[in-house]
Amino acid sequence: MIVAERKPLGEIIGFIEDFKRVLVIGCGGCATVCLAGGETETKIVGSALRIAAGKAGREQEVLEDCVTRQCEPEFVEAVPARARDENLEAVLSLACGVGVNFLAERLGEVPVFPGLNTKFLGATAEPGVWVEMCAGCGNCVLHLTGGICPVARCSKSMLNGPCGGSNDGKCEISPDVDCGWELIIRRMERLGTLDKLTEIVPPRDWSSSPHGGPRRVVREDLRQLAAEAEEERATAA
Amino acid sequence: MDTRAAREAPCLVACPVHTDTRLMVERVLEGRYEEALDLLLEANPFTSVCGRICHHPCEESCRRRKVDAPVGLRPLKRFIVEGTREYRLRRRGTVERSRKESVAVVGAGPAGLTAAHDLARAGFGVVVFDSADEPGGMLGTTIPRYRLPYDVLREDIDDILALGVELRTTCTIGSDTSLNDLQREFRATLLATGLSESRTLGVPGIDSHGVLLALPVLRAVALGERPPLGERVVVIGGGNVAIDVARCARRLGAAEATMASLEAREEMPAWEWEIEEGLEEGVRLATSWGPRAVLSEDGRVTGVELRRCVRVFDDEGNFSPAFDEDKTCHLVADTVVLAIGQAADLTCLKGSGVKTASGGQLEYDPETMTTSERGVFACGEVSTGPGAAVEAVADGHRAARAIHHFLDTGECLKQAPREELPTIGDLPDETIERIKQRARVEVGRSPGEERVRDFSEVERGFTEAEARAEAQRCLACTTGAFVDEERCAGCLTCVRICPFEVATVTKTASMPEEKCQACGLCAAVCPAAAIALKRFGAEHIQRDLSRLLSAREKASPAALIVSYCCLFETTSRKFLEENPEDVQKTGVAQVLVPCVGRLSVPDMLAPFEQGADGVSIIACAEGECLYPTAEERLGARVEEAKRVLEEIGLSGERIELWRTKESAEVSWTAFWAISRRKLAGIGAEEQGKKT
Repeated sequence: MIVAERKPLGEIIGFIEDFKRVLVIGCGGCATVCLAGGETETKIVGSALRIAAGKAGREQEVLEDCVTRQCEPEFVEAVPARARDENLEAVLSLACGVGVNFLAERLGEVPVFPGLNTKFLGATAEPGVWVEMCAGCGNCVLHLTGGICPVARCSKSMLNGPCGGSNDGKCEISPDVDCGWELIIRRMERLGTLDKLTEIVPPRDWSSSPHGGPRRVVREDLRQLAAEAEEERATAA
Repeated sequence: MDTRAAREAPCLVACPVHTDTRLMVERVLEGRYEEALDLLLEANPFTSVCGRICHHPCEESCRRRKVDAPVGLRPLKRFIVEGTREYRLRRRGTVERSRKESVAVVGAGPAGLTAAHDLARAGFGVVVFDSADEPGGMLGTTIPRYRLPYDVLREDIDDILALGVELRTTCTIGSDTSLNDLQREFRATLLATGLSESRTLGVPGIDSHGVLLALPVLRAVALGERPPLGERVVVIGGGNVAIDVARCARRLGAAEATMASLEAREEMPAWEWEIEEGLEEGVRLATSWGPRAVLSEDGRVTGVELRRCVRVFDDEGNFSPAFDEDKTCHLVADTVVLAIGQAADLTCLKGSGVKTASGGQLEYDPETMTTSERGVFACGEVSTGPGAAVEAVADGHRAARAIHHFLDTGECLKQAPREELPTIGDLPDETIERIKQRARVEVGRSPGEERVRDFSEVERGFTEAEARAEAQRCLACTTGAFVDEERCAGCLTCVRICPFEVATVTKTASMPEEKCQACGLCAAVCPAAAIALKRFGAEHIQRDLSRLLSAREKASPAALIVSYCCLFETTSRKFLEENPEDVQKTGVAQVLVPCVGRLSVPDMLAPFEQGADGVSIIACAEGECLYPTAEERLGARVEEAKRVLEEIGLSGERIELWRTKESAEVSWTAFWAISRRKLAGIGAEEQGKKT
């Protein structure tokens, strides 16, 4: 899942304090699961903003909503209409950055602000602890490294590690950070595939990663079908 | 339309009249005693009686019994009745007659009077006939006063008569008037004459002077007479009537009162608690002995000869005692009382067309409750055989439905003799292990030797504090968490925090209701707000807040505190009767929550939006919470709410978590006073920071 964390409320207030009518909108997807932006967090943020407005004597109305996922057109299509009908002046999204972008593209003159800091693609290590496990580099090498990602879990994203900064299984950047290559080696030892590491991985093409510019995935077959259906509907109309 | 839940709490299912005891307990906790009485009387017009003598199948099936001991539902019922006497008199009233048809009820016992009650409420004219001077049937004439004072019975009966039911006592059908006359005068007749005759025994010496039948003895005692039973009394029988006689004999001065029963101790049909109480009072048991002869001298009883009973029931479970004639014993007795069963007195049928079966019993269809005569119905023990008072009430209800249907349509209504409802069943073992034990509140009894001095009531009622403490023990079956699957994100938070390991997630979460303990911890932290509790939800809190804070004048200078308090810590309903005007006066708006462990962070913040200056959360005393981990979880949520306040420039100290000391009455007011003082300081401090 995408892991995010709520921004400090002071920062959020700075975004929205000049607007009279603000919608706080949560996301029922990853942001709910990582306890950062679901229905309950939406209530907390909404409540806090109203209390803060009252305390500062600001005339501000803060509304709340939560959609199933902010990254699907069907789930957010009602938001622009709502913004119009209810004269919303600003929207605070408690989704990951995807949701903020997605809403911003649809909301015309109404500004959309991020309520969360989107952190990484990760998993729940234990209740209350989430860790990064994937860097979304666009070209998986996990088959070479025993299923442990060197791009996400090595501080240097080295493909032929470890480096000299590995110390008792920890990374030199912090004693709280495991050395990704230590994990890879231990894992491959266990799998009996350690010898595979003797093969040097050549420098890779990073154009599939964010460095290559905004990425997209297209399934032409599905796109074609959708376009045809749209055309048919248009003709019928 | 049936609006019942799919599966009911076992206590409700076990009750012959399906009293919603679970809801009754909830009403007690909420301090809504009057509403508790309403629901009790709706199910059972003999609520006062059942609060005293019911054999409480509800308790026998209470799911708490496997954790420690069942919830004291019967004493709670008595508490409700005793605490609402004035209200009950106010609610008493006549029902307008809306139907021209009248019904005759023969027998003013619990079955007949219940039917009369229901039919009168349905608008029919009802006349109840009874041969005794006073109504009540066996409840009035044979149950000893130390178990059921007559004025307690009268509370129920007077309610029924007040509806407009006409009562004609000292009127024996079959002699004073006939069943034929009733059939002519009334569109339907209900025979509810009970089993008013004691059976006798065919053994040598039975005609001796000093051999008595149980019911006449109990009747005399109930009337306040003191029949001379002598020093040594032997009661033949092991049932509830026998134990009543034995206990009365002790109260009448018998030094020895011995029950000789065919059954072994564990087979005795008397209620176990009655036997225990009898033993405390010095009643002796001679179990597995059957009478062979009554011994006498000059026609006067001197004792009984007993033979060893080796088997009471045959393999099919039929009553078929077998004896070892070689093993005998003698008991010396001044009086022998036969309490070996009751029979119907069918004098009322004289001259009528109502047929009796070969055994002398009424010919009767258990489904339609009809006799051989059209329009003549029967209910209660005369048709069902011996049973408990509440079973007679249930049968009375059923008879009223049958007669109502007959008067509407001219046809007979088929009803199963007992309505079986689906139940959530017993607690799974793994859940039992996780439930905290808490001792049942026992009212205790005075020592047996004191009790036998007179016929005053053996048991006292709960005090309010005791009733509230006992009500807390209810596991609130069927009122637990349920999930809005549309919202559930399957995040597993509920699974991780459930202290009873009830919650599971496959695609979405589920909390099987037979396991859920309704603690509400999952609902408090569900990030999707997808979990609600059937019994007490967040909307309840919001409603209470709005109601309490609506009357508040905005300009009021005094600090306003919203106090979320643990409902379980109140020993009286003093703190439960707040109203918006009081909030204005005291500056404290209380919201009672059945365990504050279920408060969510939004619940803690909401009061500040509505103008509160502080939130005082008052939990139970340390370590006292019914729900494991709830105290720690609540502490963490309070910290989170404080951080939110700090982030927006308010002091986190505006939210305080208190632990009750002793009781609500003792400590809460002091907590609020401290909070109020503290808030004044906090306000100045925040003001200072700003400038």
